[in-house]
Amino acid sequence: MEHSSLPSSQPTVIEKVIAFVDERVGLKQMQAKMLNEPVPGGSRWAYVFGSVLLFIFIMQAVTGILLMFYYVPTADHAYASTQYIIHDVDYGWFLLSYHFWGSTAMVVCVFAHMSQVFLWGAYKPPREMIWLVGLALFGIVMGFGFTGYLLPWDQRAYWATTVGVEIMDKTPLVGDFMARFLKGGPTPGQMTLSRFFVIHVMILPAALMGLAGLHLFLFRAAGPAGPFRGTPEEIKAKTDFFFPRQVWKDIVGMAVVFASIVAMAFWEPVVLLEEATPDPGDYHPEPEWYFLFLFQLLRLKIFAGEFGQFLGAIALPGAFMALLAALPFIDRDPERNIFKRPVALIGWIVVMVAILLFTVSAIINREFLD
Amino acid sequence: MQPQLKSKVRCTDREIGEVTKVIVDPLSREISHIVVSMNGSGERQVSMALVQTITDDAVQLRNASAEVAALPPFKRDEYLSTHEVEIAHLEDNLHVTPGEVLVPFPELEKNVKRRTFFMNFTHAIGFLIGLPIAFPVLRYLMKPMYAPLDNGWLKIGNVSKIKADDIGVQFKYKKHVKEVYLPEAEVEKNVWILKATPAVLDKVYQGKDMEFRDATGKSVWTNKKDIPYVAFSGKCPHLGCGYKWRKHKVLGQVFLCPCHLSIYDASGKVLDGPAPRPLDALPIKVSASGDVQIIDMEFKAGTKSQIRIV
Repeated sequence: MEHSSLPSSQPTVIEKVIAFVDERVGLKQMQAKMLNEPVPGGSRWAYVFGSVLLFIFIMQAVTGILLMFYYVPTADHAYASTQYIIHDVDYGWFLLSYHFWGSTAMVVCVFAHMSQVFLWGAYKPPREMIWLVGLALFGIVMGFGFTGYLLPWDQRAYWATTVGVEIMDKTPLVGDFMARFLKGGPTPGQMTLSRFFVIHVMILPAALMGLAGLHLFLFRAAGPAGPFRGTPEEIKAKTDFFFPRQVWKDIVGMAVVFASIVAMAFWEPVVLLEEATPDPGDYHPEPEWYFLFLFQLLRLKIFAGEFGQFLGAIALPGAFMALLAALPFIDRDPERNIFKRPVALIGWIVVMVAILLFTVSAIINREFLD
Repeated sequence: MQPQLKSKVRCTDREIGEVTKVIVDPLSREISHIVVSMNGSGERQVSMALVQTITDDAVQLRNASAEVAALPPFKRDEYLSTHEVEIAHLEDNLHVTPGEVLVPFPELEKNVKRRTFFMNFTHAIGFLIGLPIAFPVLRYLMKPMYAPLDNGWLKIGNVSKIKADDIGVQFKYKKHVKEVYLPEAEVEKNVWILKATPAVLDKVYQGKDMEFRDATGKSVWTNKKDIPYVAFSGKCPHLGCGYKWRKHKVLGQVFLCPCHLSIYDASGKVLDGPAPRPLDALPIKVSASGDVQIIDMEFKAGTKSQIRIV
């Protein structure tokens, strides 16, 4: 620590520069404040998901910016420029595949992060606002997945967007307006590509950076929740600072996620289908895997017809998100131990099993289509 | 009431010193200890459990002064000032002013060696993530930077257009370019052609044939020193602008670049201005019927020697 280290004989140039900046902006105090945050009950592997998500986002921004060096968002060249990235530019296939699998990792980690907060009861007072901002961030991540899917302008992209926007169209009152606004017209075309591109590379990143900053600020204002059991003495004995043990666990988590994304990029690099056209040919449209359960839901008989469609595509997901948003205000019991919250535990298991079942049945259904 | 800094500290038998610091528990956010300076004989850390009563300017302990003096000396290294930690709402229930308010290092953080180990490990893993992508990213961005040179001949017109000797005549031509994923397109370029008198021709070639080589050093074409037609690249060797054939008040008919006023004579020699080298002559061949062909070449601007880039 600063206090224990003896003053060295001659400061190096770097030390002088650091001291110069520190004197003017209070760098060391800022750094100390950021790193010396007590983690009640000590660092844990379960806490890595927030930092890992920040890492994934930074890597998505880096790879996304690199892709924009070659990609052009026009209907006549989007496909050709993406193929050029995959087949001609050195390591282009890798950066594009990293970006693609990074988005999958983002969704997986968002689910893990939300589950951890839910199971730990960390959304309870005084942390309701962190939870609400987190839900908005969840929506942004889904928006990234949806808008990014169109950009390569192949058949998969075109049809996922066509269906997705039709779903949005079923929203009462504003649906038609929202769908036309997104498409920039009655049917998908150049205007759709331009709008999705701007939303994907400008609006959503700005929104995510702002809200993630707010999320962190609120987290620091409330302090970490810590474990959901243990006496104050036990928790105090195990408490340490955010740095270095939690930071170390976080960076190991980042390295594991990085290695997994790289491995997926090597094993399953992105391959485009035919260029987008309003004739699907032999292609069976399907959304990205994390939207599959919603897709499968809409095949059920009870969601047939105009009203059924509204129920399955808008009302049910909408009600679920509203329930999540209302959760900290409905659930006033201060008990955080998940094993003493049977409704919460059973509810989480039911949602996870339902998503799993619908996803698996959508995959099984593929066989009946070929 | 919370113990105030500079309060006198009294034991059962006598006064022993004053409060110099207070220590706060980071989780309960309550004062857990006071630090007492023993009138010049070091500092002692005294638990709040030993405090009997607190008044505005004094703290009364339950112990005798000998017991307090027997406590181990206060270890400042094991604490951080509240300016150096982030503990939400720490100040909310503290009413201590002014001076240092301390927070203890957690037990797990007192081992400096282990802290350093974890810090170095974190940096090492960070490098393991960053290094493997640095080279691919560089290669990815470099893809279009070094295009192969094109040595194809382009027809650009007929010398019947040239009416007089030693006069710069601009020939415009179209070049087909295929840029990355875009379809083939045409761009308009120009060269200046001169039908040179022997005197001017000698200034251009200085008595030697001019040989052009490709990137590997293989000869592409040789301009014979006695062929009177000379082609100059349309790009000014100073900083790449397009120059013109103009009448100069003092120097007469010259090549003049409007950007930084480089001036060249009909042989391409620099007469005035900042240009570092003469105009760039290009490979040229003229058929019996007078059709002119050139190899479209571009050279780096601003250098003394010719460095071909296109």
